[in-house]
Amino acid sequence: MRLKPTGILLLVLFVVAVLLPLGLDPRGNWLRVMGTVMIFAAAAQAWNIMGGLANQVSLGHAAFFGIGAYVSTLLYINFGISPWIGMLIGALVAAGAGALICLPTLRLTGHYFALATLAFAEVCRVIANSWSSVTGGPVGLTIPFAGDAPMLFQFRSTVPYYYIILALLVVVSLVFWRIQVGAFGYRLRALRETPEAASVVGVNVFRTKMIATMISAALTALCGTVFVQFTFFFDPDSVFSLTTISIRLAMIAIVGGLGTLIGPIIGALFLLPLEEVAITLLSSQASGVAQLAFGVVLIAAILIEPRGLVALGPWIMRRLKGGQPSAPSDMTAKGETNV
Amino acid sequence: MAYLQAILDGILLGGVYGVISTGLSLVFGVLGVVNFAQAEFLMVGMYVAYFAWAYLGLDPLIAAPLAFGVVFVLGFYSQKLLVGRVMSAPPAAQIFLTVGLMITLENGALVLFGSDFRSVNVPYQIQGFRLGELFVSAPYLYAFLWAVVITGALWLFMARSWTGRAIRAVAQDPMAATLAGINTARTYNIAFGLGVGLTAFGGAVILPYITVSPTAGVQFAVLMFTVVVLGGLGSTTGALVGGIVVGIIQSLSGLLFPIQLQNLVLFIIFILVLALRPQGLLKGV
Repeated sequence: MRLKPTGILLLVLFVVAVLLPLGLDPRGNWLRVMGTVMIFAAAAQAWNIMGGLANQVSLGHAAFFGIGAYVSTLLYINFGISPWIGMLIGALVAAGAGALICLPTLRLTGHYFALATLAFAEVCRVIANSWSSVTGGPVGLTIPFAGDAPMLFQFRSTVPYYYIILALLVVVSLVFWRIQVGAFGYRLRALRETPEAASVVGVNVFRTKMIATMISAALTALCGTVFVQFTFFFDPDSVFSLTTISIRLAMIAIVGGLGTLIGPIIGALFLLPLEEVAITLLSSQASGVAQLAFGVVLIAAILIEPRGLVALGPWIMRRLKGGQPSAPSDMTAKGETNV
Repeated sequence: MAYLQAILDGILLGGVYGVISTGLSLVFGVLGVVNFAQAEFLMVGMYVAYFAWAYLGLDPLIAAPLAFGVVFVLGFYSQKLLVGRVMSAPPAAQIFLTVGLMITLENGALVLFGSDFRSVNVPYQIQGFRLGELFVSAPYLYAFLWAVVITGALWLFMARSWTGRAIRAVAQDPMAATLAGINTARTYNIAFGLGVGLTAFGGAVILPYITVSPTAGVQFAVLMFTVVVLGGLGSTTGALVGGIVVGIIQSLSGLLFPIQLQNLVLFIIFILVLALRPQGLLKGV
């Protein structure tokens, strides 16, 4: 099989990501920024399984992200269970929550589904805020500092976190890729196009969507645990946030390229450093300027190229090849944007 | 008695919820787009009324038509320049365009007006009327009455005026409407402006008993969607009924549960309605 341009680009990105800590200051801000970029790329990739492959646009992935964060942290604080194990339990709980939310919502599509998932994440946020005896309430939770304790998922340096996050991104991307090219992915895409026809040829609509949701939820929860281990502090409004989690994950996938393997990675690489730069440049200005820019970018991205940055790939390839004007190469290039 | 009082408060609140949500329902019914930014237009309407009070000394109830007008123009051009371009795009593009609009409006307000909570001062703010053993708060009553008036006006407009009929025709069948000589694109502009304008009107009339801040819209977002889904997306009469139902539920749950859980009750009802009757309570009954 000939390696496609996106495949080559992914390999290059991976090698750069592996070598990056050698070139960056291990205590510096940029290594942390890159870590954050990769966490959000991974979570957006998990979102992409539902939103991209199955076209079930979720506005409530913060629910799963927050469940991962809370389950692992509460298990650690109350029972001393290592977040490494808590992370897997969190993923199981999130998969369960995913199944639960599927029961009433799976018949819904499009707007209705987005609304229902949004409400579900808000329910989680309200519960986390008001059930103070268990969750710590609006004050939030701080992960007790244990120094350099690899078994407890704590390190003094940013570098180990960086590589753990990179591994997470690779795992989530492999799961996405496996689903995309496998029979399960074909079933999902059949559902996306016409659920009725898919059902007629023997796709179990309910089961297929439910499994996709559970996988997506579990992977998002893993990202949630890793995120809070990385930041050490969180509260209900930060991990269950509509704008900074739910919408951001979807936006990364959409700006990068919905339903594509490389989309969330490009999207996160493009958006998060942009946001970081905007915050550093504009922090002297009134608050909200960076978020305002975020909203404008989202609107612009959808109006200019709804297929995402990935759609620019073939255009760049043609330029590199010296502008062959032949129509067929254009056609194949367009076909490849879906991989 | 406490329950009767709660139901009365709920009806007064709910009438305003009805107007606010009618706008959302109108936008969906005509354009087929769920406007996630609708609640932010409510916030803009509140700010218009606030500044009309602060600089011109206008009572928010008098400034409400002004809020409607300003937001109508804003909505008209938002539809023309932004939303109109994704009307035939897949739902994901529509959802995220309006979500982008939501983020932009909220943070635009934050940049322009700061994060302060602002409130107006009007003479009837703490007045009320006794009705036997029941108590009717003046600002709630006035807001409710205005809501009833504007709903009636909307009904007349949609039933009698040429533009209103054109809007209904386009909602039923855009192709046939075009063939009948209706400028469909312009009708969409007007319908969107009208929808967000109504919501802004609702925002202005509640200003005497609520504070405005850039995040004022968020608390109404889920409420609005609950109302509209209860009444059936796209049904304007449904939205009014849904509004009153939600007002009563909210008011009663305030008696039974601690204040933080009030919204939880609303969310759960919302998910249940979506699951059991996504077509709304009124349709097909």
